[in-house]
Order: sequence, then C-alpha cells, then structure tokens
Amino acid sequence: MKSAALHRALSATCLLVWSAALLWFHGSGRIIKYLAPDFRLIALLGGLGLLVVGAFNLLTCRRETSCGHSHGEGEDCHSAHDSHDLHPLMALGLMLVPLVLSLAWTKDGYSAAALSRKGLYDSPAPGGSTFLSNAMPVMTREELLGSHRQTDDGYYEFSLMELFFSTGDRELQGIIDGVKVQTEGRIIDEQVRNPNGTRKRLYRLFMTCCAADSRPVPIVLEFGEPPPPLPENGWTKVTGTMRYKLEEGTYQAILVVDQAIAADAPMEESFMRN
Amino acid sequence: MAADGRQDFAFAFLSILFEGAPFILLGTLISGFLDVYLPPGAMDRLLPKNRTLAVIVAGLMGAVFPVCECAVVPVIRRLVGKGLPVACALTYMLAAPIVNPITALSTWKAFQGQSAATMTCSRLLLGFLVAVLVGLIASRLPMRSILRPRLVEEIERGSRHADHHHHEHGGCCDHDHSHDHGPSGSRLIAAFRSAMKDFVDVAVYFSIGVAITALFNTGIAPGAAWLDSLAANQYLAPGVLMLLAFILSLCSTSDAFIAATLDRFAWGAKLAFLTFGPMMDVKLIFLYQTVLKRRAILGLAVFLFVVIGGISIYWQKLVFAAAP
Repeated sequence: MKSAALHRALSATCLLVWSAALLWFHGSGRIIKYLAPDFRLIALLGGLGLLVVGAFNLLTCRRETSCGHSHGEGEDCHSAHDSHDLHPLMALGLMLVPLVLSLAWTKDGYSAAALSRKGLYDSPAPGGSTFLSNAMPVMTREELLGSHRQTDDGYYEFSLMELFFSTGDRELQGIIDGVKVQTEGRIIDEQVRNPNGTRKRLYRLFMTCCAADSRPVPIVLEFGEPPPPLPENGWTKVTGTMRYKLEEGTYQAILVVDQAIAADAPMEESFMRN
Repeated sequence: MAADGRQDFAFAFLSILFEGAPFILLGTLISGFLDVYLPPGAMDRLLPKNRTLAVIVAGLMGAVFPVCECAVVPVIRRLVGKGLPVACALTYMLAAPIVNPITALSTWKAFQGQSAATMTCSRLLLGFLVAVLVGLIASRLPMRSILRPRLVEEIERGSRHADHHHHEHGGCCDHDHSHDHGPSGSRLIAAFRSAMKDFVDVAVYFSIGVAITALFNTGIAPGAAWLDSLAANQYLAPGVLMLLAFILSLCSTSDAFIAATLDRFAWGAKLAFLTFGPMMDVKLIFLYQTVLKRRAILGLAVFLFVVIGGISIYWQKLVFAAAP
C-alpha cells in the first residue's frame, strides 16, 4: 500500500510540474512566443486542469478506493485502473528530464541555423506559399496604397507579410514596385546573393499553431554600402523603396533602404494565421 | 549538442508540449471516468445482432465512448473476456482512438490553416473504413487464430467473475451492479487515479515523441536531411511517416500536433501517419500481446501498412490535390 501511495505521489508530482510549466509561461506572458492565440487559453485551462488533477491525486494518494465494478481473476482495483506501463520513477524521468532541460535551455526563439533550415534563405516560390497566398486580395495601386497609412515622411506602412507575398505575384509586384514603404521585422545577415556585403535580410515568423510549425517570412534589404551596425536578430524598423529583381530565376523582393533603426518588439512577434 | 542546437530543441519541444498537453489531459480525464463509471456490459448491449452491422456500429462506438489507443486495449481485453464478439472488439480497438470527438477536435485545431476540415474528415473516414475492414475480415476467421489461447479458454469457460456476481445478486435486472462498499467518494478518487495513470502513460510516450520531433524539426537529428529528401516522394513518404508513427508511439489525442509540424510532407503522407500510428506502434505491440496472438499482430501490422499506405497515396491524388 505504501508503495502504491508513493507511486501515485510521484505521478501526481509529474502532473504538477507540467502544470507549473504551463502556468508559468502563461503568467509571464512568454506563451505568446510559443503558441498562436487560439491555443493560449487552451494551454491555460490545461495547466489549471493538471494542477487540479495532480493536487487531488496527491492529497488522496493514501486513500483506499473501490471503482465499484468487478475485475477478472487475479486483478484487483489497483492493478486494473491504477498500475502503470512503466515504473513511476522511469515515467518521472522521461516526463521531466526533457521538460526541465528545455526550460533551462530555451531562449524563446530559434537560432539562425534553425531559421535557415525553416526556409529563411529559400528562394521565393513563384506561386507563393500554398496555404497563405489565398489570403491576399487583388487590388489596384490606388486601392492598395489607400488602404495603408502614410507616415509624415511619405512612406506607406506595409507589413512584412504583404511585401513577402508580393514576390510570388507579378501583378502585385507591378503595383508595389517603386513605392516608398516602412516595415519592421528582425534583421539578420544575408547569406545568399550578397557578393558586396551590402545586404541584410528582414524577417518575421508566421505561426499557424505553435512555434514548431512557424516559418520565416523574409525580404532582402539592400543598403548599397556596408550595412550599419544593428543588433543581430534584433527588431528593426526600415524605410526605403521597394524593388523587384530577377535573381537566379526568381523575383526577389528587395527593399532599398533609406533608413534602418533598432525598434521595440511588437506585441505579437509572429504573424498569426488569423 | 551545441548551444544553438539546445536552444532550438528547447523552443520546438516546449511549443509542441504546451500545445498538446491540454488535449492529452482532456482525453485521459474522459477515459479515466469511463474506466470507472462505465459498466462492462454497456457496449455489448448497444451492438446489433447482425454481425456485419455490429462491426460497423463498433467502428462508430468511439464517438460515444472515446478512448485513446493506450486505454482501449485493457478495455477490449475485459470486454472480449465478457463475450463481446472478437470482430467488434477489434474494430472498436482500431477505430475508437481515431473516430472520437477528442481526436477530431485536436486534429482540427492542429491543422488550422492547413485544410483542417479536409484532414479531419479524411482521418476519421479512413480510420473508420480500415477498422471496419479489419473487423469484417476477423469475423470470418476462427477466434483461435486471432486471440491468445488463454483468453480463448476464458471465453469458452464462460466463468468470468462478473457472471458469478450477477447470479449472487439474483439476476434481478439486465445491467451490471455497482459493488461499491468503500468510503464515500471512493469511485471519484478511483476515476481521477485512472485518469492520472492514463495521463502519465500517454505523456511519457508523448514526451519522447515530441523530443524526437523537435530534433528533426530543427534539423539537429542525424538523418533529418534524409527524411526531408524523402518527403517529396509521393510513394515513399507515406511509408516513411508510418514508420515514424510506429517508432514515436504517440497518442491519437495529440499526434496531430506532431504531424502538422512535418511541413515538408504532403497531406497524404500525414494522413498515413495519423491513421497508422493509433492502430500500430511500438507500445501497442506490447499492449496487443495481452489480447492477440503474435502472428495475428504481425498480420495486422502488414495489412494496416499496405492498406493505409495505398489509400493515402490515392487520397493525396484524389482529395488533397483538389483541396483549397
């Protein structure tokens, strides 16, 4: 009985640790880097649910129970409903070691290498991304510019997503080409088609459900000279003129930079599906 | 692992874990309460007398009694021992982890923005069809060629403990009696314990699966590039993902969150992953051995691999190619 109670207490501890991780990330606001809005409330409810189930089982781990129905020969209530596939200590290790290591290692974002693997430097697809391109309406130049706020300096505020998708749409390129725009994103070294070292890349992540499925949405920044020192992977507000250039068989969205300054991170760092 | 690799692994691992954990909890709470509060004969009474019809209904029973694949095997063992037809039991065992509202909800949520409706409907339909097909084939096979000899003997003896209890109580009515002579709230505690047990059993495999997925997702795992290179092959990709599902041994309530992140693979391959995994994986091999003969398990594995793989390739061409 003591052993069974100890096993239950260990299992309840696992639940409480998972609950603590979910509630901690929710309470600290870090959850926005990991989950799309739809999933944040679900994660909170999951954290609270785990807290209730874990605490309830911990408090009642010594109580004897009866499930109220009969079992087969050689089976009692504990072995039928309460015995685990694995030893609870093994389960504890497998549930908690990866979680604790991840909590210690995470920096709430991907490294440049992972971003590269996720497509940061991929050539834009001619038809755009299959599951996103349908979201972009077809407009005239007047309609498009009329729907964007203009800064005091005469730059139209475009989201990076719009500029990125224009790479897969020749019609849209014709509308945006030559427009003075202002946009923001994270700045990172340009590793392709940058022989003079005058380019950088500006990107944001597009998240469908969680960070694991997020994809970089990038454009090229052309400074025309060695870029100014800006924090690597830091948030940057950029103004300049949009150009489209055929490079290695695909049209690249290139923002010829007038000014690039460090900026604060927006409330939602990633673009969301909705 | 390099510092960058650790950072990437941690970020991907936590995001998938946070996304999937609430759904595992929901599933295990329901299965825990069903485990304790559902009378053993309830399912048997709901099935029609006609054998084929019974198999079809058994394939839909997961909608009423939703359980994941880990929870369903002990339930099936008990139900078969109590006389539930083997064909119906097999059908329910294969279909219930897929054809149930929790799995539908988690698949729908996980594939938001990626033809969620098409993927969810395809998964439920394919899971149901394959399970019914297996059930219909099993209904034509002798019980001894499928079940473990000990279980066959139990059925043939017909001397289960519950029957004995039923007679003791005079057979006054047509349902199983509750024998709760323990303290008040005892069954509630048992239900929460059962839910916790299911959660831990599932979460262990989920944790391992998420860790492996995070390694592949961020390109840390050796072979990630090789896996990506196969993703574009419409014939090999479903097989590769079914193999991955077999190894990862994920729970059907949360595996969609993994599949949705395999963005280099086509929908057909993901469908194969989502249908094959809940029916056959490493942990299920061990669980199935408590009910089925080894030869039957091997036959089932080969059958599922070929049928699900074939249909998924066809589905990719027919349905997903036309999906918006």
